[in-house]
Amino acid sequence: MENLPAIEVLSLHKAFGENRAVQGVSFKVGQGEIFSLLGPNGAGKTTTISMLSCLLRPDDGDARIMGHSIRSDGNGVKSALGVVPQDIALYEDLTAHENLSFWGKMYGLRGSELKKRVDEVLDIIGLRERANERVGKYSGGMKRRVNIGVALLHKPKVIYMDEPTVGIDPQSRRNILDSVVALKDQGMTVLYTTHYMEEAQELSDQIGIMDHGQMIASGTHDELVKLVGGQTRIDLTVNAEPQRILGAWQSVEGVEQASVEDEKISLLVADSNQVLPHLFEAATRQAVRITSVDIREPNLEAVFLHLTGRALRD
Amino acid sequence: MIRILDITFKDLLQLMRDFKTFMFLLLMPILFTFLFGYAFGGFGGNSDSRLPVGYLSQDNHWVTDSLHDLLSESDLISLRENVFLSPADLEQQVANGDLAAAIIVPHGYGRDVLKNRTDLRLIVIADTNSTAWTSVEAELLRITSRLDGAVRTATIIERIDSERMPFHYAFEKTLDAWNDPPIAVTETKSPAVAKVSDSGAALAHTAPGMMLQFAIAGLLTAAQIIVTERKTRTLQRLLTTSTRRIDVALGHFLAIFLLLFTQFTILIVFSQVILKVDYFRVPEATALVAVSAALCISALGLLIGFAAQSEEQAITFSLIPMFVFAGLGGAWVPLEVTGATFRAVGHVSPVAWGMDGFENIVARGLGFESVLLPSAALLGYALLFFSLAVWRLYASEEK
Repeated sequence: MENLPAIEVLSLHKAFGENRAVQGVSFKVGQGEIFSLLGPNGAGKTTTISMLSCLLRPDDGDARIMGHSIRSDGNGVKSALGVVPQDIALYEDLTAHENLSFWGKMYGLRGSELKKRVDEVLDIIGLRERANERVGKYSGGMKRRVNIGVALLHKPKVIYMDEPTVGIDPQSRRNILDSVVALKDQGMTVLYTTHYMEEAQELSDQIGIMDHGQMIASGTHDELVKLVGGQTRIDLTVNAEPQRILGAWQSVEGVEQASVEDEKISLLVADSNQVLPHLFEAATRQAVRITSVDIREPNLEAVFLHLTGRALRD
Repeated sequence: MIRILDITFKDLLQLMRDFKTFMFLLLMPILFTFLFGYAFGGFGGNSDSRLPVGYLSQDNHWVTDSLHDLLSESDLISLRENVFLSPADLEQQVANGDLAAAIIVPHGYGRDVLKNRTDLRLIVIADTNSTAWTSVEAELLRITSRLDGAVRTATIIERIDSERMPFHYAFEKTLDAWNDPPIAVTETKSPAVAKVSDSGAALAHTAPGMMLQFAIAGLLTAAQIIVTERKTRTLQRLLTTSTRRIDVALGHFLAIFLLLFTQFTILIVFSQVILKVDYFRVPEATALVAVSAALCISALGLLIGFAAQSEEQAITFSLIPMFVFAGLGGAWVPLEVTGATFRAVGHVSPVAWGMDGFENIVARGLGFESVLLPSAALLGYALLFFSLAVWRLYASEEK
């Protein structure tokens, strides 16, 4: 059981009429790992999560959650996982305590066990003092905490978190990201969907990039960055016509590509530390003053751009 | 099973948190029962089921006054007097159907009655082909015969002993004697007929009518809980637990049923105690119809909840059956007063079966057997609506 992958997805397919929402998605997540599904809106992340939650039946393919097949053992899957939906899926006219009690019952908890877990979760999400207030009166961040708390009630082995930071303030976002790390520390496996590359980069042991229903790349952050050759992008502005210095910089050793966009000179380089001094020397020789330098390390945005030709935010 | 009850309890808790819902579900039907009951002539003093008959006197004679008194005391006709109306106006009102007939007393009528002349008599305006005219004619004949008889009797008595029995005295005594005749026929009626002719007949119709109509109106609230559950994705979240879809449907269904049955119970007790609508005459029959109707309307509420995609749709889906089913099913106007075709079409509406069931008890005075068919029809509708709701739940969540 210990060597079993927490999540094993095998060529899932799902179409809604002509729309092929998920096309042959496969990936594995080891126990205790955080796996982020990264992709723009409409990439198929939520459809994938819905199939893994047994909400949607796949047209083809299968997945095993802690060894339970989503096709043949829905109850086993459901007992092993907790789902944190993108929306605040709570009853706003009930209190936090009533919400947690109700959801605990739906997860099969009863009696003293239910009471104990509700109290523990209230402590985890830091809302014990305000447990008897209606959720509708909570701030957005507090609602998000209850939303996560519900998924923890039955101590699941695997948690799905579907874009849990959409539309919330930076402080609440920080709290949620910290709580995801805390869940991992407790040994839980987290499947996290997002279209914020910073979150995927910060949290994940592994990242899968989805676009148009397909998994176009997956691996650790470093593995993915290597797909774009590990190049650093340097954007520079100068006090002269860009074309005057462009040729000189193109010939600097280590500069692999140079172009001008919006009066800015963009260079793709292997090692920015090595190249930058030579760029300044060349500028001095040409009597051109550099007015700004912006160094961008290779990131998932660049990977997505490299793989799809589009920015992640498009 | 326990999860079904958990969902039911949660729904009821949500409903109880909304004070306006309770106001709507309980106070509105009580208010409308009063309004419709009043409109249809309930509440005793305002009830007058007699035929409206216009009356215009052009004669100023004491015999004519006696005629007026006799007409006013009639159990069958109700005089509508307006000195400003002309004979032509009365003719128009009869033609419009506002009056069953009109009586014009010509000048010299009283004098001619005393002279036992028959050439000058009452002028009557009526549609002689109508059933109302038959009743009015018979009543007029009865009253004028009594008047003529009193005149003749008084004339004879005056001839025999004018000192002790002057004409006027004898005339009045003779007329009074009709109020306490030596031979009287006592009419007995079956309980059913007695119920129909009861002054509370209007309430016996409007009380169940309003109860059924507002039960459907209450679906709006119940359906909105389900719509909101889907909108906030709590329904989807429920389905990520090991709770089965059928349990979710049954949990919501039971909550709506308990709500409606409570509403029915309160309104039935209210109607029985305050409005004197006799639901308790056959309590087991009332209970059967109430349970069947509550099951049927609950299943309709479940269907609306699972079919509506938004709160606006839930409002539309609740109001349409409320008006169509209630109107078509005779909740506002008894189907008995409509034609056979409308009655048949009306029974497409489950409200018609509910009305049949309740009215068989409170208006027609029938027994337990009379509610079996209406109850079976309601349960059939309940099964149909529930099946459609569950199918809708399974289908919609697969999209």
